[in-house]
Amino acid sequence: MPLVEMVNVSKSYGTRAVVKHVGLKLEEGMILALMGPNGSGKTTLIKLAALLTRPSEGSIIFDGVNTECGDGKLRQLRRRMSVVFQRPALFDVSVEDNVSVGLSTRGNDEERIRTKVEDVLTRMELTDLRGRRARTLSGGEAQRVSVARALATEPELLLLDEPTASSDPRNASIIERSVVESNANKGTTVLIATHNPHQAKRLATETAFLFEGEIVERQSTGALFESPKDERTAAYVSGRMA
Amino acid sequence: MDLRTKLWIAAAMCFLVVGAVVVAYSARPRALLVIATTTSTVDTGLLDYLKPYFDQKFHANMTWLYLGTGQAMAVAARGDADILLVHDRVRENAFVASGNGTHRVTIMYNDFVIVGPSADPAGIAEATSTVDAFQKIAAAGASGNAAFVSRGDGSGTNAFELRTWSQAGISPKGKSWYFEGGSGMAPTLRTTNEKQAYTISDRGTWIKLQSTMRDTLNLQILYQGDNGLLNPYGLILLNETRYPNIQSQLANDFFLFMISDEGQSLIADYKVNDQQLFKPVFGKPETIGLPLETAEIEYWVAQLEANGMKPPSWVSANLGG
Amino acid sequence: MRGALSGWDVIISGVAKAVQLILSGDPTVLQITFLSIVVSGTATLLGALIGIPLGTVTSLKQFKGKSAVVQVVNTLTGLPPVVVGLVLYLVLSNSGPLGFLRLLYTPQAMMLAQLVMVMPITMSITISSVSAIDPDVREAAMSLGASPLDETLIMLNEARVGLLTSVVVGFGSAISEVGAIMMVGGNLLGYTRVLTGAIVLLTNQGEFAEAIALGIILLSLAFVVNILLTILRSKFAGTSSYTASILVSPAESRSA
Repeated sequence: MPLVEMVNVSKSYGTRAVVKHVGLKLEEGMILALMGPNGSGKTTLIKLAALLTRPSEGSIIFDGVNTECGDGKLRQLRRRMSVVFQRPALFDVSVEDNVSVGLSTRGNDEERIRTKVEDVLTRMELTDLRGRRARTLSGGEAQRVSVARALATEPELLLLDEPTASSDPRNASIIERSVVESNANKGTTVLIATHNPHQAKRLATETAFLFEGEIVERQSTGALFESPKDERTAAYVSGRMA
Repeated sequence: MDLRTKLWIAAAMCFLVVGAVVVAYSARPRALLVIATTTSTVDTGLLDYLKPYFDQKFHANMTWLYLGTGQAMAVAARGDADILLVHDRVRENAFVASGNGTHRVTIMYNDFVIVGPSADPAGIAEATSTVDAFQKIAAAGASGNAAFVSRGDGSGTNAFELRTWSQAGISPKGKSWYFEGGSGMAPTLRTTNEKQAYTISDRGTWIKLQSTMRDTLNLQILYQGDNGLLNPYGLILLNETRYPNIQSQLANDFFLFMISDEGQSLIADYKVNDQQLFKPVFGKPETIGLPLETAEIEYWVAQLEANGMKPPSWVSANLGG
Repeated sequence: MRGALSGWDVIISGVAKAVQLILSGDPTVLQITFLSIVVSGTATLLGALIGIPLGTVTSLKQFKGKSAVVQVVNTLTGLPPVVVGLVLYLVLSNSGPLGFLRLLYTPQAMMLAQLVMVMPITMSITISSVSAIDPDVREAAMSLGASPLDETLIMLNEARVGLLTSVVVGFGSAISEVGAIMMVGGNLLGYTRVLTGAIVLLTNQGEFAEAIALGIILLSLAFVVNILLTILRSKFAGTSSYTASILVSPAESRSA
């Protein structure tokens, strides 16, 4: 049974259809990259998978549970996943406190919180910055904290929306490494939206290409780039599309 | 969750503080007497002077609401004060007639004076009567040589002023030389001073303001002494059946105190700048041209005696006892 | 002109008198000042306790008529104090609907009057502060699986500077209010007379220097409160521990 399954999922805002009839299966423990031009619906798809918004049509099934349920149950499901957005969206507290929020809301005790936070801060090389007010960080550092915050809860599913788009190489490499480690050591399933073909090749076993709200093609990452089946995919990977 | 607990504790503490404060300040002290009175009795300092005597004698706490006559009577009519002390006989009589008040006597008087710039452009120093003085002011105002500042606030003084205009056959409202402040006596006098205009004031506030402002008060009394300028004050006991929640016992005590020998002497003794501001007149209203109050006087003399207090000397003399 | 000169005289003697009153510890002035602090402080505290949660809920929830509610609250911030005083007087009066509470001419009535004026202020500023929070932050809280209460607490923490401002502004308007508290308090000496009421009385009686003296004391009070809350604000805006921020014991900054 796949961890996440989207069945004929569509999402419209008003009359504008952003995601159209998407069928997607995410097996446990896999890393899937999501690529596509701007406006293709990547962010919306991530938000749908994160259960932050409900589909206009179709259904999303997480670990066998249909997500067309009440808010309470939805929140329980959400606690099994973590999201990293394009913009860090950190809280106006210290780095350390940001990272601990997910753990606090899940009702862990102080001891456990401290241990896990310590662990994640070390892995993401954030121990120097732990007491700094989050709002004073640079873009790359902030995004690193955002990823740390997401990983602290050891989620079953990790969703990332272009996480390194505005990061310098060092921050980007720390982020990528932690994603890979989490997947390798803890079996975290990963869905990562990215513009960067090199990143997709580095991280993902499979890649899906999204165009105007529809999944046009999905293959193993290498194959998608070397021999894309659809001409739109070909145009995108060769840089002829925006 | 730790933060949640702390938040509840903080909120609980806040509510406790608020509750404690509210309880600590709750309930009016038992012996608080609230007098609805006008600005002139307060501004002149008369009530401040009387307070320690009354407080001590009756183990009470005398306080007063500082209002215009209109508001004082409205407040009393709603049962929000314990006793009424104002200076507007027409409205006082109406108050008693309506049943809101049960007893009314005239207890003291002062007089009004007409003040104005020392140059006296309206020439009221030669006026033959109060009405004549007002007519002279209106004439000078019409020709742009003088102005008049009215309190315009429905007070006893204001009522007197308006009645006089009416007697003089003049309607000053809206005229270019007539200004209505809508405020108390002292501010009105200050405005008059600024404008170098005319106004009518009770002598008490005038004297008080003179002593405060000294050289900066550039006005003079230009017309006074007319019997028509007398300003009597009435004390009204509120209907305790109609207002069961008022401090009727204390109000009764205050009434007795004010008409007694002691109270009336204190009123006479009160001086500012060595000048007597109020003249006691309980029991002899006819001496200042007011109708007799025989029934009331008899009732109250009996009450005084029943409470071991003495009426003023002239009253005993009148009743030959 | 002589008039202008004597104006300055009065102000200067007012300042001198203020210093003298404060230093000598004049009991009447102390009592009046203390009562002012208690009445306005309590009204502001209650106004915040009610206005901040209400404002937060209004801002965060979508419901029918929400914009109408916001408009009404914003309009109420401009309530003329005199009108509040008159209406409250009629309600609390002996012959009014709540006369049986015997609240007229008590400090509680004054607290109530000021509460009516402070609450829309705290609520209105809370609404705009919370609404100004980056929507991404709210989404981040949701994505972390925060319960509605946790989400609200996170939002409150984000808006903490604005909330504190609402309390400061509320207190400022309460302590300087004069029309309403005189109507429902009666300005009774030793019982319901506060600084503003005393200033009106003294002004009316021509005691300008004394009035200015009390005015200076009032201003100093507002100034001290402002300074205290500014210090709090800067501590809030600095590094602060999430768990301790409500009880104002900010964690030490542990970085260099």
